[in-house]
Amino acid sequence: MAFQASPFLHPGTVSQTDRLAIVHLKRDLQLPTILRDHDEDNEGYAEGKVVNTRFGSFPHTTLIDLPWGSQVRASKVDTGSRGRRVKKRKRAGSAENSGPTKKVAKVDSEEAPIVDIAAEEAGTATPNTPAVKEETEAVAAASGFIHLLPPTPENWTSSLPHRTQVVYTPDYSYILHRIRARPGTNIIEAGAGSGSFTHASARSVFSGYANDQGVDGSPPKKQKLGKVWSFEFHEQRHEKLQKEIKDHGLEGLVQITHRDVCEDGFLVAGASPGADAVFLDLPAPWLALPNLSRSKPPPKHNGGRSKEATPTVPEDASSDTTKPWISPLNPSAPVHICTFSPCIEQVQRTVSAMRRLGWVDIEMVELSQKRFEIRRDRIGIDHSAQLGVQVSPANVDEAISRLLDVEDTFKSFHETGEKTELKKRDRPNPNNRAKILESLVGRKVYKEGNLAHRSEPEVKTHTSYLVFAVLPEEWTAKDEEEAKLRWEVKAREDSEKPKEVIGMSKRQIKRTAREAHKLKAAAKTASMPGDETREHAEGVNDNTLKGKGGVPEEACGSIKQELT
Amino acid sequence: MRAHYLVQPNCWVALRLPSDTLKVLLMVPNTIVSLGKYGTFASNDILQRPYHLTYELLDRQEGHKDSGLRIVPASEIHEDTIAEEDAASSPKSDEAIIGGDGVEYELVGEDGEVIMRSNRETIDDSARQTLTMDQIETLKREGTGAGKHLIAKLMLSHTALDQKTSFSLAKYKLLKTKKYLRRFTVLPLDVPLLLNWYLSEKDPGKIMEMRDEMMGLTGSWANVHFSQSLPDAEGGRWLVVDETGGLLVAAMAERMGILYPSEEQLQSSSGNAHHREDAPLATSNTLTMVHNNAQPNLSLLKYFLFDPATTTQPCPDHPLNSHLQAISWLQLVSPEKDTFYSTSVEQLSPEELEAFKPGKRGTYYRKLRRWQRTTSIVDTALAGGFSGIVVASSMDPTSIIRHTIPLLRGGANISIYSPTIEPLVMLVDNYSTSRRTAFITSPPDSFTSLETDQERDNWKGDEDFPLNPTLILNASVQTARVRSWQVLPGRTHPVMTGKGGAEGYLFTGVRVVPARGKVEARGKFGKKRKADEIAANGRSDMKKGKLEGEAEELAATPAATDNGDDVVDVRMASPTL
Repeated sequence: MAFQASPFLHPGTVSQTDRLAIVHLKRDLQLPTILRDHDEDNEGYAEGKVVNTRFGSFPHTTLIDLPWGSQVRASKVDTGSRGRRVKKRKRAGSAENSGPTKKVAKVDSEEAPIVDIAAEEAGTATPNTPAVKEETEAVAAASGFIHLLPPTPENWTSSLPHRTQVVYTPDYSYILHRIRARPGTNIIEAGAGSGSFTHASARSVFSGYANDQGVDGSPPKKQKLGKVWSFEFHEQRHEKLQKEIKDHGLEGLVQITHRDVCEDGFLVAGASPGADAVFLDLPAPWLALPNLSRSKPPPKHNGGRSKEATPTVPEDASSDTTKPWISPLNPSAPVHICTFSPCIEQVQRTVSAMRRLGWVDIEMVELSQKRFEIRRDRIGIDHSAQLGVQVSPANVDEAISRLLDVEDTFKSFHETGEKTELKKRDRPNPNNRAKILESLVGRKVYKEGNLAHRSEPEVKTHTSYLVFAVLPEEWTAKDEEEAKLRWEVKAREDSEKPKEVIGMSKRQIKRTAREAHKLKAAAKTASMPGDETREHAEGVNDNTLKGKGGVPEEACGSIKQELT
Repeated sequence: MRAHYLVQPNCWVALRLPSDTLKVLLMVPNTIVSLGKYGTFASNDILQRPYHLTYELLDRQEGHKDSGLRIVPASEIHEDTIAEEDAASSPKSDEAIIGGDGVEYELVGEDGEVIMRSNRETIDDSARQTLTMDQIETLKREGTGAGKHLIAKLMLSHTALDQKTSFSLAKYKLLKTKKYLRRFTVLPLDVPLLLNWYLSEKDPGKIMEMRDEMMGLTGSWANVHFSQSLPDAEGGRWLVVDETGGLLVAAMAERMGILYPSEEQLQSSSGNAHHREDAPLATSNTLTMVHNNAQPNLSLLKYFLFDPATTTQPCPDHPLNSHLQAISWLQLVSPEKDTFYSTSVEQLSPEELEAFKPGKRGTYYRKLRRWQRTTSIVDTALAGGFSGIVVASSMDPTSIIRHTIPLLRGGANISIYSPTIEPLVMLVDNYSTSRRTAFITSPPDSFTSLETDQERDNWKGDEDFPLNPTLILNASVQTARVRSWQVLPGRTHPVMTGKGGAEGYLFTGVRVVPARGKVEARGKFGKKRKADEIAANGRSDMKKGKLEGEAEELAATPAATDNGDDVVDVRMASPTL
């Protein structure tokens, strides 16, 4: 396979053949599509492969080799006759006599947004279409356009084919930030689902492409290569994700395994992924947690109060001891974990399991996100029933002047019996095209009214609870011995002259100085002859402490005083 | 990477105390670390040990000034809570155990039969502690077991202990634990920790009150990641405008893998920094920081051993040296007015150099290098083609976008953080559908008179259109906030208090390249149209009012406002309603 950089990580400056691009129709409506310079599915379009949308048809040939972000006009594509040839179509009647010369072929909305459907339809139903046709030049249509964007995990997340609940951008961005997924990290993701987290984490840990794909994640000499070790127990989802990863050029970066991790653990081909970070989006994360230990987990919790002083879990004779147990974690790093569960009961069981398995700094949070609608609120009665204007008085003066108007009308009706009011039909419609353009260009209504924001009507009030924890590196007595040898501690005797002390607060420094001063004074009154050295030492201490003004002092901010 | 996992000498670490306060210290070998009232210990005791370990200050040995340390295993940290859980799951047991993620107590004993009480009988009086101040002081001085004994004594001497509910008892214990327990946890100083330390203890204003979730969101939406150029694929370069003292730069650098020096780079710090050649500037995977003072404010980067302001850098081989490129607004907008950039240092011949005194020669070389670096950075930045821009600044975002948008390549991601929403609301208003419609329908003369695309991109806007509304797609504003919970057996609930202050908002958008000439949008409509209108205006005419995909969708279904666009404007722009 020819090596190709992933369009997610190295989009380049222009769109390229056989690479993923995002066709942006409108906010929250984007179509991922892989650009092809020929129609391999043979869908029968004269222009080769075509993206059909409700805003027009876009042959791929018009999308390739364009600078990213380009606005692209729709092309005149004959969708009608193709459909007739292939299959009886619902709307054949109306589109029947529209030759390629017709201005714009109408695209019905059912067929439009999802390219895959069109592809599948055509793929299954075109056995006897002419084989390879001369592809014609695309001709620009009169209206309709899209923007062509490079793929990012964000727009992929909002456009991906949903297979399960998706981990959205606010959640995954926070999670990846918290579990320290950085370039070079090995991250385990269990419950890949629709793959949004997979793509986001691949971007986070990417630190170079692995041209030789080692299974154990052992890095080449220079730089540690980050990798996503993804697990999915649902076979179809696994297959689909596998294909996506391949199509997106992320193959060396994401290793997907079809596996139930609760039962079968996290080893890939018998080797350890060496994970530094873990993300579990599983229905029962507490069942998978024992497989994420540093040493062999017990087969079951005994439920009693265990009193071991060491974090290692005791061996149990009943478990399978034939194979040596390999930890899927990086032995020389703290491991950060995040579990993603919608229910509080799941959280409680997960946290309980974490406590028993030696995880520390356990913290649970939920994250809420809001998006805002920003628009101008236009209020007033003189806008003559324009759309988008709240027809009510903008202020008291307006209210009074309208009341006076009503008053006048009332009077004149009683005096003369005349109705001055215009009939509704006689009033000019303020909302036709000319009027609106006039109000936009002439009156600049986009500058009128008060600029205001409110949250969008649909708010995701709960996605899931996030449990974070850390499993520190295992530190044995032997390691400690070695560290002690390397960094020898010379015990400071009570009488010894003070060494440099770091981490004291200003208050403490002052107090130490005061005490030293007192001592000095006391020593002077006693006029002991041997005290000069001591004085000197204290002076030095004083200076060094003052000199350390740059050292931040924070610890004691909240603690007012020692109990004295 | 390994360097990151053990406490390195002469690196910054954070110590978390039982009171949840952080102490951020430079771990100098052979020094004494003071934890205030909790005690002192030798820095060598934690060097080259793993992070995230919790230590207990041991009782001082006779005649010694400092305490030794003991690693507290996780099983001991959680022992209480686990015990409480077990007790709850087997209600037969008559042990009353006080939990709360702290320390274990041998407090349960004689008559622990009372399991649950109500707080009806509780006397709200703090003077229930029978130990006097002097006694407590004595205990503190002589106290053993890292404060555990003192806490146990305090609790046993509380006259109303038996009247407390298990909840208030747990709370009381936690309070005393925070005050007297002599433990601390060693944490690596990374971006999330630095952020939280500044937010909760130092100066939230200095980092523009940016929370973790907003930092993560900002980086994600800007699509910042490691992106080194490959032989056949161009890498990424990002613009950053940072007024958080370098925190934003640090966070982005962390995402790009250029924040932490590798172990070799750390090692070389001891080497002589004076004769080192400046590292050549990187051409991809770079951050170009635009700053508003003569020098960039990157003071927070010192915690990552990068301090460009000093002559003796703590880590001369720091990756940021070549990957972080600072440029002032003056240099970006009118470089010819900048003295550094415009005063070229002439190349001297070897003979002329020979004639210099060594000191003068050194000055000459320094000047030359600085000028070469500045011109190189400025020229690269002005060439544009950036993959995105990240902003956290108190300056008007409209003015930032005006000057940076020509430098962004098509498809570049824009993310702008602001502690308050108002500046972002004004920015989004520049991209409202009605304003864009007006712009496309009748562009201002100052714009149409420009010939080339490049000139048009550089158009500085006018009164009606402060920015070219067609250059950014999907302009929107969002926010996110986490809420922390306490998860304890039978006592799971959101935490009771939190920090107020600025909410924090994020503007996101994508730089696009509008097609030349008039572009008309399309969509389905018709339901709303009256037959007579069609007859009057004609079908094709109807379409002309549509200028944006978004517009038609909304026009067709006015109720479908879930895409966050300005519905009012949209209806105005569409003649079908």
